[in-house]
Amino acid sequence: MKTTISTLAVLLFVAGTTVTAQQSDYQVVQDFRADYNELVERVDNAVSSEELSEINADIDALEADNSGHSSLIDGYIYPNSFEGKISDLRSRYAAAENNVQVIESLNEKVAELEDEMAELRDRLSALDEDSQALANRLERAAQNERRLSNLVRQYRENLENRDAFVSDLLEDLLKRYQTMDAQTQEEIAAAAEALEDNPLDLLRTILAEYINLAERETGLDSEDYLRMRAQHGYFSEVWDNVGERMASTYAAEEPVQAKQEIDDHLDAWLASVDNKLWNALSTSFNQSGVQLPSFTSATAFNNALNTYVDEMTEVSLGQNSEEDYEMFSNFSEFWNSTVKAEWGEFLVAGNVLSQGDIAAIDVKVGSWGQAAEPVSNLMFILFLVSLAVIIGLIVLLVTKKE
Amino acid sequence: MAKSKLLTLSMCVAFLFSAAACSSLEISNVDYSQPVESVLTVENNEVHDKRYAIKFNISPVLDEEGISSVDEIRLIRSNRGYYFLTASGFNHVYVLEVTSGGLDEKNIIRIPGDALQQPAFNQRDGFIELVDLATGDTHNLDHNGRR
Repeated sequence: MKTTISTLAVLLFVAGTTVTAQQSDYQVVQDFRADYNELVERVDNAVSSEELSEINADIDALEADNSGHSSLIDGYIYPNSFEGKISDLRSRYAAAENNVQVIESLNEKVAELEDEMAELRDRLSALDEDSQALANRLERAAQNERRLSNLVRQYRENLENRDAFVSDLLEDLLKRYQTMDAQTQEEIAAAAEALEDNPLDLLRTILAEYINLAERETGLDSEDYLRMRAQHGYFSEVWDNVGERMASTYAAEEPVQAKQEIDDHLDAWLASVDNKLWNALSTSFNQSGVQLPSFTSATAFNNALNTYVDEMTEVSLGQNSEEDYEMFSNFSEFWNSTVKAEWGEFLVAGNVLSQGDIAAIDVKVGSWGQAAEPVSNLMFILFLVSLAVIIGLIVLLVTKKE
Repeated sequence: MAKSKLLTLSMCVAFLFSAAACSSLEISNVDYSQPVESVLTVENNEVHDKRYAIKFNISPVLDEEGISSVDEIRLIRSNRGYYFLTASGFNHVYVLEVTSGGLDEKNIIRIPGDALQQPAFNQRDGFIELVDLATGDTHNLDHNGRR
């Protein structure tokens, strides 16, 4: 019984093999061509290493499955050949491998940039939210002076943190784009096309918030606005260095327009800061007893300082009164301990006064000091006394002779 | 006498030269075999094999087969230069010989059993293999018939 079943199974297997062994050469060639064309399409459209490794295995399989029919295929696809087709597939595969490497590297770059942007946005948003919350609290606490002072301090710290964060970002941009070679720029530009949010957008957001901060009424003083101007100066300097390259990288289609947009934001920011700065400076000088002529620009401020010192020197030379000396001492104290010591760095960085301007005023203040220093009357009194003594002696001698 | 011998000899030489001049060029051992069959779509009973540059009307074959139309035919040329033609639904393979401007019947080979369902020709060494892919039946053919 067992033998019969085994024999039957063998017969069925042989019969089945016979049926399946029947083939059409035409079908073999058509299948090869279809498989080849499909592989060409897959190779040309491959975008990942995983796809490529599957394709590589399929190319091997196509070669192995059809090598027995190579002469048949050669005859049918003449002047091409089976070897030629497989070799063509392998060449396409090698080219696709290079492309995929580039694509994967670009994808990594896109992911990196996106992560970076997201992190920067998060930090910026957190700082801006804090800043907004503090500004709101400042408005509400306007009546309570002690509380107000604390809040202004906190608000100021928040602005300083924001400035520090933006400065770090700018430094990073400077490092990254100032010496960037053309190839890297091209790679990043290609990756940037896939970015939803690129560094130019981030810069625009930062600038918009800076404008907003400068325009907010929050009890800030001259030093705060000078710090803003200094930050603007640093921002502009970095943008001058990397702006063109960043615009070409992240707005390859309209780089000029993109750069101009940031330039416009920078101008608006400066205008907002200046709108508050000149008044704040004028108030600070007034509060210290220095009545400067009015000014609404950096040059006018420099002129105002020079005019004030020149005029006061003239007055001191003419009067040499105690009052003049007091005026000088007052100005000198404010100039040295506040303007130079506390604001000096911001004045220079914010392009309000240059080191040369400050040095020139220093010289004039020195001259004013000499002119204002009151001259002592002791010598004159001694001279009069001596004169009186001499006259007295002469009178005595003449009287004795007579 | 000598003159007559000379004349005979000259005529013999002239005959030999003219016989050589009249013989035509002949190339033997030509292999016409088509490596893979052509599967040709029938349009208005006409087929056109662009690869092997042959175009003809299959109406006489359809008449012979008693079929009004077919979608496609299978055609292959043997190493001897005969065309083998069949199609799904045919009971025969038509062996056609190239003549001046035509294809003449060389043989009509009756395939035993039911009509062919999925016929396919394969070029084999010295013969044409006919396979019915639907049934797995195989027949080895040459221009004289089944081998």
